[in-house]
Amino acid sequence: MAAPELPQTDPEGIEGVRMTWNNWPRTKVEASKCVIPIAASIQPIRPHVDLHVLPYIPLRCKSCTSVLNPFCRVDFTALIWICPFCFQRNHFPQHYTSISQTNLPAELYPNFPSIEYTIPNYPQNPQNYNPAVPPSPIYLFILDTCMIEEELDFAKSALKRAIGVLPDNAMVGFISYGTQVQVHELGFSEMSKVYVFRGSKELSKDQVLEQFGLGSSGGRRAGIGVQKAGGQLSPADGTANLGINRFLLPASECEYTLNSLLDELGTDQWPVAPGNRALRCSGVALGVAAGLLGASTVGTGARIIALVGGPCTEGPGAIVSKDLSDPARSHKDLDKDAAPFFKKAIHFYEELGKQLVSQGHVLDVYASALDQVGIAEMKVAIERTGGLVVLAESFGHSVFKDSFKRIFEDGEQSLGLSFNGTLEINCSKDIKIQGILGPCTSLEKKGPAVANTVIGQGNTTAWKMCGLDKNTCLTVFFDVSSSEKSDSSGTNPVLYIQFLTSYQSSDGQTRLRVTTVTRQWVDSAVGTEDLVQGFDQEAAAVVMARLASYKMEMEEAFDATRWLDRNLIRLCSKFGDYRKDDPTSFTLNPCFSLFPQFMFNLRRSQFIQVFNNSPDETAYFRILLNREIISNATVMIQPSLISYSFNSLPAPALLDVSSIAADRILLLDSYFSVVIFHGMTIAQWRNMGYQNQPEHQAFAHLLQAPHDDAQLIIRDRFPVPRLVVCDQHGSQARFLLAKLNPSATYSNAHEMAAGSDVIFTDDVSLQVFIDHLQRLAVQAS
Amino acid sequence: MAAPGGPRPGNLPPGYMPNSLANNMQNLQINQPNQPQSNNPTGGVSRPPNTTPFGQQPPPFAGSRPGPPPHSAFVRGPVPPSPSGPPQTTLSPNVAPARPAGPPPGSQPPPPFVSRPLPPGSLPSSMGGATVSLASGSSPQLGPGPHHRPFVSSPPMSGPAAPHPLSNGPPGITMAQLQAGPRFPPVMGSTPRPPPIAAPQPATMLSSGSSSQRPQLRPNFGGRPASASLATTHPGPSSAPPQNMLPPPAPSPFSAPIQSVPPPSGSPYGMQTWMSQQQQVAPPPPVPGLQPPRMFGMPQTHPNQSLAPTSPSLFHTGAAGTAQSKVDPSHIPRPIPSSVVILHETRQGNQANPPPPATSDYIVKDTGNCSPRFMRCTINQIPCTVDLLSTSAMQLALLVQPLALPHPSEEPIQVVDFGESGPVRCSRCKGYINPFMKFIDQGRSFICNLCGFTDETPRDYHCNLGPDGRRRDADERPELCKGTVEFVASKEYMVRDPMPAVYFFLIDVSTNAIQTGATAAACSAINQVIADLPEGPRTAVGIATFDSNIHFYNLKRALQQPLMLIVPDIQDVYTPLESDVIVQLSECRQHLELLLESIPTMFQNNRIGDSAFGAAIKAAYLAMKSTGGKLLVFQSVLPSIGIGSLSAREAEGRSNISAGEKEANKLLQPADKTLKTMAMEFAEYQVCVDLFITTQTYVDIASISVIPRTTGGRVYYYYPFTALSDPAKLYNDLRWNVTRPQGFEAVMRVRCSQGIQVQDYSGNFCKRIPTDVDLPAIDCDKTIMVTLKHDDKLQEGSECAFQCALLYTTVYGQRRIRVSTLSLPCTTMLSNLFRSADLDTQFACILKQVTGEVPSTPLPQVTEQAKNLCINILHSYRKFCATATASGQLILPEALKLLPLYTLALLKSCGLRADGRIDDRSSWINYVSHLSTPLAIPLVYPRMIAIHNLDEKELDSSLIPETVPLSSEHITDEGIFLLENGEDCLICVGNSVNPDILHQLLGISSVEEIPSQFVLQQYDNPLSKKLNGIINEIRRQRCSYLRLKLCRKGDPSGTTFLSYMVEDKTPSGLSYVEFLIHVHQHIQRKMP
Repeated sequence: MAAPELPQTDPEGIEGVRMTWNNWPRTKVEASKCVIPIAASIQPIRPHVDLHVLPYIPLRCKSCTSVLNPFCRVDFTALIWICPFCFQRNHFPQHYTSISQTNLPAELYPNFPSIEYTIPNYPQNPQNYNPAVPPSPIYLFILDTCMIEEELDFAKSALKRAIGVLPDNAMVGFISYGTQVQVHELGFSEMSKVYVFRGSKELSKDQVLEQFGLGSSGGRRAGIGVQKAGGQLSPADGTANLGINRFLLPASECEYTLNSLLDELGTDQWPVAPGNRALRCSGVALGVAAGLLGASTVGTGARIIALVGGPCTEGPGAIVSKDLSDPARSHKDLDKDAAPFFKKAIHFYEELGKQLVSQGHVLDVYASALDQVGIAEMKVAIERTGGLVVLAESFGHSVFKDSFKRIFEDGEQSLGLSFNGTLEINCSKDIKIQGILGPCTSLEKKGPAVANTVIGQGNTTAWKMCGLDKNTCLTVFFDVSSSEKSDSSGTNPVLYIQFLTSYQSSDGQTRLRVTTVTRQWVDSAVGTEDLVQGFDQEAAAVVMARLASYKMEMEEAFDATRWLDRNLIRLCSKFGDYRKDDPTSFTLNPCFSLFPQFMFNLRRSQFIQVFNNSPDETAYFRILLNREIISNATVMIQPSLISYSFNSLPAPALLDVSSIAADRILLLDSYFSVVIFHGMTIAQWRNMGYQNQPEHQAFAHLLQAPHDDAQLIIRDRFPVPRLVVCDQHGSQARFLLAKLNPSATYSNAHEMAAGSDVIFTDDVSLQVFIDHLQRLAVQAS
Repeated sequence: MAAPGGPRPGNLPPGYMPNSLANNMQNLQINQPNQPQSNNPTGGVSRPPNTTPFGQQPPPFAGSRPGPPPHSAFVRGPVPPSPSGPPQTTLSPNVAPARPAGPPPGSQPPPPFVSRPLPPGSLPSSMGGATVSLASGSSPQLGPGPHHRPFVSSPPMSGPAAPHPLSNGPPGITMAQLQAGPRFPPVMGSTPRPPPIAAPQPATMLSSGSSSQRPQLRPNFGGRPASASLATTHPGPSSAPPQNMLPPPAPSPFSAPIQSVPPPSGSPYGMQTWMSQQQQVAPPPPVPGLQPPRMFGMPQTHPNQSLAPTSPSLFHTGAAGTAQSKVDPSHIPRPIPSSVVILHETRQGNQANPPPPATSDYIVKDTGNCSPRFMRCTINQIPCTVDLLSTSAMQLALLVQPLALPHPSEEPIQVVDFGESGPVRCSRCKGYINPFMKFIDQGRSFICNLCGFTDETPRDYHCNLGPDGRRRDADERPELCKGTVEFVASKEYMVRDPMPAVYFFLIDVSTNAIQTGATAAACSAINQVIADLPEGPRTAVGIATFDSNIHFYNLKRALQQPLMLIVPDIQDVYTPLESDVIVQLSECRQHLELLLESIPTMFQNNRIGDSAFGAAIKAAYLAMKSTGGKLLVFQSVLPSIGIGSLSAREAEGRSNISAGEKEANKLLQPADKTLKTMAMEFAEYQVCVDLFITTQTYVDIASISVIPRTTGGRVYYYYPFTALSDPAKLYNDLRWNVTRPQGFEAVMRVRCSQGIQVQDYSGNFCKRIPTDVDLPAIDCDKTIMVTLKHDDKLQEGSECAFQCALLYTTVYGQRRIRVSTLSLPCTTMLSNLFRSADLDTQFACILKQVTGEVPSTPLPQVTEQAKNLCINILHSYRKFCATATASGQLILPEALKLLPLYTLALLKSCGLRADGRIDDRSSWINYVSHLSTPLAIPLVYPRMIAIHNLDEKELDSSLIPETVPLSSEHITDEGIFLLENGEDCLICVGNSVNPDILHQLLGISSVEEIPSQFVLQQYDNPLSKKLNGIINEIRRQRCSYLRLKLCRKGDPSGTTFLSYMVEDKTPSGLSYVEFLIHVHQHIQRKMP
């Protein structure tokens, strides 16, 4: 969509960076006048055909540790390079002696602003280094058993399938839970062996390890003789590792065991009193899982993959009481502070998140339930660790099934799940970093580039991303330090930012991705032209959406709609062309032209209009909003609509109710769902079976086309969107109608042509919105 | 449901198994260790033939043995009573006439030797034999006669007493007299002199005996004239005994002693047989009418006798040294076990009949009072005032064993179903209807014998009274004519449905347990026992193992194999599953067997040495909480981790001697209250814990035993556990534990007539309110001591009743109330108290009280207390009942003449010795707390027999050879001796034993080869068969498999053996003779 405005098909390019402003205002004051914050959406390990992988260690600046890059000035005779960030002069080491103007190392090629290094050793744990055997990733599965048999069967078969496709060397563990947590010891051959933890008691990591007999200090496992000497055991000397191997086995070794175990696994046996929810201790289960992984070797990538079938009602992390007459918290409850469990649960998951981050492990949650399961509370742990989340209605639903399958897929479809990522950002002087929104955690690494104000994970120049994948996307908020000394401004018109992402790839290698980007400083005092040209409205819309969501979560009584409106009006006032107080004179530069519509749709979207959704859904949407790339996030804000009809090629249609026609098929992609909507006539034809008649092959093709396109969309997306196939006036049609601009409502239905549709809403239509905007924008403020 | 009037006994519910108790006896497994497996299913049945007596029906019984067979035996007894030896005749005049029925026992002395034969006539003979032996024994040694006799004198006492046969109705007086009976024989034995002495004098000679008579006499005379009945009691005890006695046993014992010339033992045996005989005296229904007159006459004779004897008392005030020399150890009182079966009617002539000694073999006929097995009182007459009781210095207490095993020949307890309305009870005190409730006003109301309240008879229960004032239907209604009945509990006695039988096994699998084979032994035992668990759809089983974690097992049938569920949080435990941890037996048999077989191998390489015992039982309890049930724990090491973990205090105590000395008894107290609190909780939810401790180390029994004690279980202690010899015992203990008669979720209360109230209960139970005791489980072995106190005067001539009501659930899930009522006469006469004292009960009571003090009081004080208990009683007797005797004499009440010996034994017992291992002492203390009366005596005064000469003895009737006094002088180098105390069985091999015998008995060729671990095997030779027969008989009697151990003189095991020789002088203890002197001196010091 919006193709004409985006001439490049790959706006991120090899850098994987999109900024709201590609030309930066010089001063803080100017920056604030720009309304839209200076922010970069980065995709740290974006795959790219041109990406080079260098099998050696990068050269780093000895003062600011930035890595040698194409923007360095190199003195080939003196074998010296000058760091563009701190202007430090660095000598090339011995093995670079042969470089020359014509013999450049790859990292100095100007068309490789991104480059990747393979770090051959494993710095955090040198003793364990074994080049032949990269540490195997760990997959710890957690299965909720408090569900009806049918659901459990779906979940079990999904698990079995997943285990079947795991690489042989992947380490696998399994925990099931209900009222209690059951940790299955897979390395015990005599019989099935399960450690059972009570669901009502919060356990610290040390307690968990102690109880597994894995503690480094507790001698419980060591037997009598070693009891007192236990203190000397260091976790690295192998004993701890030996212990955890009881629970984590290579997939190839435990597949049979796990399968038979899953076969026998039944639903939770603890009785559920009538009128009560099942006692479900998701919190403790996750805590135990995190604790168990704590015994694994430091630096080993691990995912906790939790399949949750309902709300946590027992122990820490509970979100609702077990009494069914007591509904799960709603947004209204949260607003009124009437959710007694909420804060405590949030706190619990914050701590859990911290623990997982310190271990470098990921929490993925696959929730399938009609009720809420507590994603709103878990969000913090999922997001901080870079985990994945999928929210579905049932484990039998394709949203879950196909998504779940995808995480284990190999090859092109692979998500490229990676572990233990660390992002560092170096930037030119005068640039400060406020923080990052997205799946990461601040490492609290202070530096001169840290801004005073914080947005998201801030106060640092380094972030941990326990889990990341090819599509993982972060939003970095920059600030410009108010540089009064404008004298220096003339000297250096260029700014540099370097993103260093080290991570452990899915094949176990340790990589360092170095992306160095450069942008221009512009002096907006002179004119806004440069600024306007550098505006990326999609990125801006997404950034605004992320920021608004963040503020809604963080700030009490934050009125997102007003905030968006105000900003939009300010933006239009600043960058629009108009005569004062003459709305009709208002025009916008093409670089801004789509932005008001984005805002219009954003205001109506699930991100802002949360009351249509449960807190869980909102949390889910926001997690995805924050971690998806700009183009996907844009779709979330403003869905794309394609129309299919006999007389024309499939073409984008206006996201408007007027696009509905009896003889059209519409394909709506709102990211979370993909809707195929048959116009009334089409539906009738189809119901009469014309598509099966040879003479109506065209009709069959017409019917098929949107399905094929939908599959294309679905295939590339994670989580898999919900596919809704519906007919005009059918109940499912609401999935489409909710997204359309209500240009035709019951109030003006008489104006509409036959065969079109109306939406029963009081919402303003885009036209009304734009009218107001123009009026307000031109008002003298 | 039907008529509330109460169905008749005939209407027993189908499920009821009145005989279950008896039948269960057969379940006591007596396998030879070498063939434990095979016996398993049939165990009960497969008992070696010899041991069968009980198992079998009366007929065989009678044939093979001295049949207890009631009537015929009795009847005959009287018939034979032809005038016997001269001595007797002297007596007989007095006695014989008194009772037509009772043949003068003494009379037959001569025959005994000749007549082993079964004929009843032989019985008397045996008696005679005894007497002879005594005489012979005494005569040689006691040159001068008089002095020695004092001891001997006991017989004389009996002599006088004897005349009043116990047998006869007149209940109160009997005791002393009975004993007197036996004495006669001795007299007879000493043929030369005795005759003269015999009649009147013998009595005099026996200090104790004489004294006892006196009291009796007084009551008779001084007493109310009305009490003709009393008088009757006196008559011819001697005569009666023979009747009751079963012929065979008696002879053998006697014969042996006789042969050995010097045999000091001779006399004791004689005495004992007598004693037992007397008691047995279930006289053939003599015509009461005739007797009374004579009775009167009798008393007179007694006084004379009793007075005369004063001279003989052994102990002169002289220096101890001299005294010693004068005392002939062979003539001091010793217990003489009798294998004669006594027939005991609980009431005769509307009088309570004093029960036979608890240690004897008897058959009870419930004629109104409950069987003494269920409840017996330390004194068979109740002092009317508290002053009288305190003067006597005796204990007043009941020993209650509500589910005691009956003799197989006894009638089963009848079950009465009152339907929905439940049993008739007094509306004020809630006492249950019993034979002593008096119906008045044409049966329209009844007077409660406990509180005296007059209740209206429920309409449905009304019945007219007969001319005798009894209800016409009294004899048809068990609750009106039997001392013990069981009522079917109605709804109001249930707070929930009766619980199913639930058994949860908890097994230690820590390194130590695995390596010592304890785990394997436990698993194997459990596996075999599963077959013996009560059949029934509700019987459920669970299993768990533990080391530093707790492992439960899901036994659900649907699973392919059991699933192990580990509870790792041992500070705050929980159960890992709501259901399926405890599964109905019928559904999990296969899994269970599979699991039990695999546990030992599964943990084979377990390196975890820690034990989370406390947490494990807590977790198991949580799993059982919803139903309650039995938790059987197999524990091998000190609980070192988790809730209720303990430290090796013993070692700490050792390393810090000074502190240890000061607070030695602290180690016998629980370390803290955690386990006690847990135990209270267990009890509340009806979980009973039994501990099987299979260990080589200190496990702090003092602390952990709190749990079984509070929950109605017990500690089984296998130290040091050996995989060779202990598994068989473990298995048998376990088997008995689950198969013996028992009940669950029980509540017990004892009610007393006005004037007396319960002071305290002691035993293994949980007490929440003062009046009741809660018993998560109660079985036939558990005894509860109920101490009593006066809160008012009792009416002389009235009777005081005690009623024990036990509400429980059978293993088959029926709710029952077992009610035992005992009504005893009240007396104002001190002498009556002494005469009616029940030695065994009295001592069991002392034993329990003293033992109870051990953990809380420094040892010297405890021993002092024990001694004083004995001394005070004897002193009281000496002061008030034997005033006429010279002060230089030690005079013992006949009934309590063994009290000094038992007291001495008690002082030397494991629990009261400071040198023992702490755990041994704790275990002993615990064992005592629930010990039944019949087992209390052997515990402190074990039974020792010689087994090297088995082939010389004809053991056709009685399997157990005569006992040997516990004195090392009897242990010869050529001999092999077997000693047993109900738990342990030591076989001591002398250094110069005939190798052939050794080989035949034990399968080893020389003393040097004695193995440290011993497994009894049966070899194909008569000696070995006899030995096995004997041991099996002991096992049967004790309901215990016994821990067998070989000892050899000269090495540590021999020292252990010698430590049981309580009559010896030891570095820290007096010899028996010395002790008597010691006691005597104390008494004298107290005398004004």
